[in-house]
Amino acid sequence: MDPKKILINYAHHQAGHCESGATSNLFGFYGHDLSEPMAFGIGNGLYFSYIPFLKVQYAPMISFRNLPNVVFKRSADYLGIDATIIKKFKEPKAAMLALDRNLEKGIPTGMQVGCFNLTFFPPEYRMHYNMHNIVCFGKEGDIYHISDTVMETPQTLTYEDLVRVRYAKGPFAPNGKMYWINSIPKELDIKSAVKKGISKTVYEMTKIPFPLIGVRGLRWMAKDLKKWPVKHGYEKASFYLGQILRMNEDFGTGGAGFRYIYGSFLKESGELFNNPELLETSDMMGKTANKWREFTYIGARNCRNRSKPEEDYSMLGNMLGEIASMEENVYKKLDKILL
Amino acid sequence: MDEKPNPVYKDERYGQSRELSYSYDKTGNYEKTVGFHGEPDRVIIQQAWDHFNERITEAKEKVLAGKVSPIAYYMEKNLVDTLSLSMLAGISIWRVKWHFRPRVFNRLKTKTLEKYASAFNITVEELKKVE
Repeated sequence: MDPKKILINYAHHQAGHCESGATSNLFGFYGHDLSEPMAFGIGNGLYFSYIPFLKVQYAPMISFRNLPNVVFKRSADYLGIDATIIKKFKEPKAAMLALDRNLEKGIPTGMQVGCFNLTFFPPEYRMHYNMHNIVCFGKEGDIYHISDTVMETPQTLTYEDLVRVRYAKGPFAPNGKMYWINSIPKELDIKSAVKKGISKTVYEMTKIPFPLIGVRGLRWMAKDLKKWPVKHGYEKASFYLGQILRMNEDFGTGGAGFRYIYGSFLKESGELFNNPELLETSDMMGKTANKWREFTYIGARNCRNRSKPEEDYSMLGNMLGEIASMEENVYKKLDKILL
Repeated sequence: MDEKPNPVYKDERYGQSRELSYSYDKTGNYEKTVGFHGEPDRVIIQQAWDHFNERITEAKEKVLAGKVSPIAYYMEKNLVDTLSLSMLAGISIWRVKWHFRPRVFNRLKTKTLEKYASAFNITVEELKKVE
């Protein structure tokens, strides 16, 4: 075999969320059929945080997803899988060498990267967003084969480009972070993992004693949203509103800030354990997601006419408050379910 | 989700890729569909690019008028702020701000220029002028 050419037989499936998609694909490589919503739910992908004093791309930071690498780490922990995560390489050369060694051993390796310099990425998404995840599964000379779950087909990147995206700067800089699975036991205890995953998500969305995270953060943002037109003027308020919607709909999501994926996870686990209560929460989550989608439609109409909003901002704020209450009901109900 | 790309985007290269998205219908089923982004999603993405492009043209006019150095233009073009630029180039933030003055920029050493050029992924000759 030509030593310079390595191509691991890795199945690429498109997904809504980059990290849970990568996790699900990696599990699939080791022979476990874990769907994307399942990986997302067990790994606590669902999250909300609003940090008005930190600006990303000239607007307040709003995140609908957990910190980078949480999904992979938690789903590996809860399912009892032997996985390695290397948080940081000081030297780009060392990071690339570690990747090459893994590929020679035949291990597909996940990496955290920044979006701005990803050459194959759709040009409209090339902004500075450092929490993207890709999996490298092959190498030919200087060219690396990449599976990016946002794209329909596998892609390629050159050595220089890969170094550049792995060492993107800014908030949540990847610093060459990489992760892979060493081995998976034959039988996975999915039930206890689902239980742990749900209780952790409920904790993160309702019980963290900090007002900018979870449901409380959502309410805080709804309150701020009403003030934006007076405080910043219509032009800026519309840009900020656009930021909420962009984070909600476009940055690697399956729509509505991952609420659809989470609802799908609840439905799948409800069917797996034959639990009618879980199915009921899944229905509630689906309705919440549809409400989010409606919020996007109305908000986007506001963004179109920047200086002359068609819908009132206070109405949008009230709508967000309503969504927060709906979500809170779901988490409260989930908290009471005993699996 | 739309079947065909629609003309909200001003740049022709935008909106060519199909993505996977989930939806929930009244009968209680979650569905996966692969398709192009709908109109509301395009509106908000285009809004962001409008904002960035405004900043870029503003910076370009300033450079051509001789008020700031080309570094300011390339900074806007790469959508970074002074802090990220100082991290990318490995030059302290105060020096970066100092280099925004055209007079200072014109006497910079090649070594410093190379740092900026590699941060912006261009050559030194390209850095010296605004296209």
